[in-house]
Amino acid sequence: MNHDMSASLLLVAPELTLTLAGLALLIWAAFFGDRHATGISIAAVAALVGAGALTSLAPAAGGNAFDGLARVDAFSTFAHVLIYFAAAVAIIIAPRFFRAHTPGGHGLMRAEYPILIVFAAVGMGMMVSATDLMTLYVGLEMNSLAAYVLASFIRTDTRSAEAGLKYFVLGALASGILLYGMSLLYGFSGTTNFAGIAAAMGADFSGGLVFGLVFVLAGLAFKISAVPFHMWTPDVYEGAPTPVTAFFASAPKVAAMALTVRVCIEAFGPTTLDWQQIIIFLALASTILGAVGAIGQRNIKRLLAYSSINNVGFALIGLAAGSEAGVAATMSYMAVYVVMTLGSFLCILQLRDAGGAYVEDIARMAGLGKARPWLVGAIALFMFSLAGIPPLFGFWPKFLVFDAAVRAGLLPLAIIGALSSVISAFYYLKVIKTMAFDEAPADAPQWTAEGNAVETGLIGFTATAISPLGYLAIAPLAYLSGNAALALFR
Amino acid sequence: MIQTIAFYLFATLVIASGALTVFARNPVHSVLWLILAFFNAAGLMILLGAEFIAMLLIIVYVGAVAVLFLFVVMMLDVDFAELRAGFVRYLPLGALLAIVLAVEIVFAIGAWSAGAINMGARIAPVASDVSNTQAIGQLLYTRYIFLFEAAGIILLVAMVGAIVLTHRKRGGVKPQDIGHQVRRRPEDATRLTRPESGQGVEL
Amino acid sequence: MIKLIVFLPLLAALVAGLGNRMIGNVVAKAITTGALLTSCALSWPIFLAFVAGNASPSVTPLFTWMQSGGLDIAWSLRVDTLTAVMLVVVTSVSSLVHIYSWGYMDEDPDQPRFFAYLSLFTFAMLMLVTANNLVQMFFGWEGVGLASYLLIGFWFKKPSANAAAIKAFVVNRVGDLGFMLGIFGTFLVFGTVSIPDILAAAPGMAGSAITFLGMRLDTMTILTLLLFVGAMGKSAQLGLHTWLPDAMEGPTPVSALIHAATMVTAGVFMVCRLSPMFEAAPVAQGFVIFIGAATCLFAATVATTQTDIKRVIAYSTCSQLGYMFFAAGVGAYGAAMFHLFTHAFFKALLFLGAGSVIHAMHHEQDMRYYGALRKRIPLTFWAMVAGTLAITGVGIPGLAVGFAGFWSKDAILESAWAAGSLGVEGGHLAFLVGAFAALLTSFYSWRLIFLTFFGKARWTQSEHIAHALHDAHGDHHADSDHDNPPSQEDAGHEPAQHGPAAAGLSDGTGGYHPHESPWSMLVPLIVLSIGAVAAGQVFHHVFVDPEGGLAFWNGSIAFDAHLAHASHEVPTWVMFTPFVVMLTGLWIAYNNYIRDPGAPARFTAMFGPLYTFLLNKWYFDELYNVIFVRPAFWFGRLFWQRGDVGIIDRFGPDGAARAVQGGSVLTGRLQSGFLYTYALVMLLGLAGLATWAMVRF
Repeated sequence: MNHDMSASLLLVAPELTLTLAGLALLIWAAFFGDRHATGISIAAVAALVGAGALTSLAPAAGGNAFDGLARVDAFSTFAHVLIYFAAAVAIIIAPRFFRAHTPGGHGLMRAEYPILIVFAAVGMGMMVSATDLMTLYVGLEMNSLAAYVLASFIRTDTRSAEAGLKYFVLGALASGILLYGMSLLYGFSGTTNFAGIAAAMGADFSGGLVFGLVFVLAGLAFKISAVPFHMWTPDVYEGAPTPVTAFFASAPKVAAMALTVRVCIEAFGPTTLDWQQIIIFLALASTILGAVGAIGQRNIKRLLAYSSINNVGFALIGLAAGSEAGVAATMSYMAVYVVMTLGSFLCILQLRDAGGAYVEDIARMAGLGKARPWLVGAIALFMFSLAGIPPLFGFWPKFLVFDAAVRAGLLPLAIIGALSSVISAFYYLKVIKTMAFDEAPADAPQWTAEGNAVETGLIGFTATAISPLGYLAIAPLAYLSGNAALALFR
Repeated sequence: MIQTIAFYLFATLVIASGALTVFARNPVHSVLWLILAFFNAAGLMILLGAEFIAMLLIIVYVGAVAVLFLFVVMMLDVDFAELRAGFVRYLPLGALLAIVLAVEIVFAIGAWSAGAINMGARIAPVASDVSNTQAIGQLLYTRYIFLFEAAGIILLVAMVGAIVLTHRKRGGVKPQDIGHQVRRRPEDATRLTRPESGQGVEL
Repeated sequence: MIKLIVFLPLLAALVAGLGNRMIGNVVAKAITTGALLTSCALSWPIFLAFVAGNASPSVTPLFTWMQSGGLDIAWSLRVDTLTAVMLVVVTSVSSLVHIYSWGYMDEDPDQPRFFAYLSLFTFAMLMLVTANNLVQMFFGWEGVGLASYLLIGFWFKKPSANAAAIKAFVVNRVGDLGFMLGIFGTFLVFGTVSIPDILAAAPGMAGSAITFLGMRLDTMTILTLLLFVGAMGKSAQLGLHTWLPDAMEGPTPVSALIHAATMVTAGVFMVCRLSPMFEAAPVAQGFVIFIGAATCLFAATVATTQTDIKRVIAYSTCSQLGYMFFAAGVGAYGAAMFHLFTHAFFKALLFLGAGSVIHAMHHEQDMRYYGALRKRIPLTFWAMVAGTLAITGVGIPGLAVGFAGFWSKDAILESAWAAGSLGVEGGHLAFLVGAFAALLTSFYSWRLIFLTFFGKARWTQSEHIAHALHDAHGDHHADSDHDNPPSQEDAGHEPAQHGPAAAGLSDGTGGYHPHESPWSMLVPLIVLSIGAVAAGQVFHHVFVDPEGGLAFWNGSIAFDAHLAHASHEVPTWVMFTPFVVMLTGLWIAYNNYIRDPGAPARFTAMFGPLYTFLLNKWYFDELYNVIFVRPAFWFGRLFWQRGDVGIIDRFGPDGAARAVQGGSVLTGRLQSGFLYTYALVMLLGLAGLATWAMVRF
């Protein structure tokens, strides 16, 4: 067992590194407090980068750690890198935002912010490499607990506190559903191991397993905010501090989506036809509601919440195909989605009036095009890309998932998805229209052009990635996502 | 025989006290019902031969969690009557939902013909000569060490979160800083002067 | 070199069009005019080389356009005799019109746009004439259509100009549909769109038949008829002619370039280019003769009654195009092209001369308000006379001396007679119709001259002149309306009938002083006058002579030397007929408008119905209005209000939009902000999924 242990530890090296880094940073923060928040942030980003580098240690053929509790393979590596990238961005964009939210705007960020993100990243890492229901749950809860705290991080802001509370209560309900499903699966298959569950399902697919499957999927659907388990999303996205919202919209989405994919393929593999129905329903409901619901929104963060629901629906279309190509398409989709969504939030973080307060009301952004043409150009780029309009890279993964769905014989699903993407194009374009073409209202904010080299650079990077130049990345993306999918269908 | 009677007794009491936890008007009563439910659940555990879990239930859940709840409920001045105002309104729909789910689950499990949990399929069958507590300990610290440590991290995160959300720096208080006191040198605090008589001292 | 000729105008159009205000009037005008002059200068050597007989046809490939299965379309420039003729016609007239426009458009605020359109048109026309395949020809065909549309509607603030532009576009669309079907059919039958390949294969196809809708139809007849429909549209032949007179709403230089000299002759060019195909389809040839002769007669009769100077010339153009078509129909393609060539010069001259008159008369276009302009604008007068001498075909048959029209028109009429004698059905009839039309041509052309330049001044009636007299400055020039024409019964040619207002001013000038046009306008007139006088004399032997023609055309058209021979050996009376009718027409015009100015009114009174019939252009517009336009509007309204708004919009876009909006409101309401609602929705979803899974299970 000892040589097993060392091999296992090596496999989870990224998680170990991050955990140790998190503990060390916690001590640092305890001694020096918020004055060292910037240094702690830098160290946290460095730890994330280091952990990302350590993912390359993963054996090409994949490896089981801790007697099947976790599995490190191309799939988990793909998700790891995405998660660490998103988490690092979420840390980088935070200090400026939190400074503006302290009295006088010259305060400091709480030093716990980067630490919580690091621990959340540990949890997400466990989620995506989980091959056991227990690992799944522990990882999910580690991420969730950090997320609840992050949502209400500005505790003086009632909206933030409300967001945290709502997220917590509903998250607890979802965890309950998930645990109930897991207990059913365990009870009827006698094991918590994915492969064991798959074997049990293949042997005798009883009613208890059906219920376990439904409940587990429902619990996971909450994390990816798929309709009808999405209700928390708009409120939490709106209330949470913007960097946290950016984090919620990116990293945990990837983790939960990857987890869902792995559970569906590895644990529920023999019953593809059954879970396919559920995923199709979730995908359809999410794309349609995400598109329709966003239309009436006045708050940009709320709008992006619906946008994320909508996008998750599209990603689920790839999973619904149930094929290797479909899984590859879903992972590609998540990769591009993370870049697009982070870019959008980066842009939103630049929208500050003369007093340094952040503007989130879309109507007040009228006339922004004259004041900050480049920024509006970037926003337009992200919105067009989110809408999946062809010259931009956002089109490509949409095409992939539709293609996978059509190949899997799910033509109606692809058609409805495409139609709802038309609806969603409406509100993306409306945002652009308001910013670029509408006359500034009388109470329009005095926009500050105060920039930040790192954030501007990140905007430039993400914008370039989703611009038509992004098509250069098709080959490597296809290679990586293909490998990831292959790891599940091995 | 006695086992069967005990099982049904405990099971009935768990369900009944669980229901009463929900329906009790007084929140303090609710918590007390909850404690009763925990006790009966512990009894069920003992019947299963899981005496460690049973003790854990009583020590941790009754001794710590439930008592914590009790304190919170008593200390917070929450108007539970108001909170419950919506309860009746949503009762029909909620009840319907509950019944539908319950019926489905019963149906699903009723359709299960296997009859019993397949103990042989358990991942880590426990050697019979080891005590319950020892067996759990062995598994927890070897096979499941990864998850055990992760659970520890979860608790840490929860603790950090609780501190972040509740800890406040109070302005205007003067805490004792021992290091500052110790570092202080006489020359910082005292001054020797030799005033001429009749001149007075300038402070 | 040919590339330079074709693409210089495009380049200039792009520079002038995109630069527009940025580069300013003078630069834009200089660039376009310079480009055109260069093209022109490069074109003449090519043409002269063909005339001298020491040039051979060539094809300059540019690049591949599309390649799909058997369809292989490349951009390439074909230069042979036919193209060379068109090259000089197009580039010469175009460059002269460019120069002329310096003066004519001088006060227009939008000159770069105008010159850009002109150059664009020239480019499209050159693409058309150099096309080596039908698709490229169609590209040019549509390009000139577009430029024509843009130029007719150049003064887009004028509703009538917009209407005319749309009319021209729509009517041409009918023809283009025929052309397109013709191209498709040709590709279907021949398997290629390359013109040389088609022409080589055409004779072998004669007599073959295809089955369509259960009918056995002659292949070549069908194809050529379809193609000819395209030619009819572009060349304003009877039935599809209605757009041409209305197109006069455009600036006069445009009328000269597009609607007289070049674009409208594209149909004739196309028929000549595809002459081997037509030769293989005798029925279609008969149809071409019929349409050509009918147009020739129809347009000439209408021209006798019109009072708008440009409309008279427009109908005259229509009529002359009819000549060209029936010449092509009888097989005398050389004569048709010859007439095209000479017509380009004298018709452009007449239009530009008319433009000069209009310019002098402050944008008054109604000839009833002209008169006595001979002394005021002498150069214009002499140019117009030269043009008239050319169009009426003045010349002495026996001595072989004459103006341009004499050579070409006589060649056509003689060819028609000769073809009739050789057994081409309708040849003799075409000759008779043509001769009668020549009489009318002579009449209306001289009528134009007499009304405009002779007699007494009748200027005071004109609103335009009145404007000019009241406003010292002249900024009404460009867009002044001509929306108040005299009533019809007043359309007589009697100045005295214009009412008592004239009485106050005995000389009828109203104190207005017409001024001769600037030199930029006069120089093109002079150059074109030379062409109108001499073009026939100089080039007739290469175009229509049996031996010279065969060598000159060198297979680029189906030149029938036998027919050319025969046309030189027609009876003497045939040879002299055009001469006689020309003199007759001249005499009638002289009698009616100089000697006895009361005669037209008496004539009108005597033949009231006939006169009204002609004045209303045979009621073609009214007929089309009843047959096509109104039902089309009715259908349009039906589909719009019942079909589109009532059904498709309601259940389609509007309905969908409303559903989405409703859905949005509903989601908004569901998103109440209360936790228990959210939890309820989650549990409902869970229960729903579980039930579904249960039922499936």
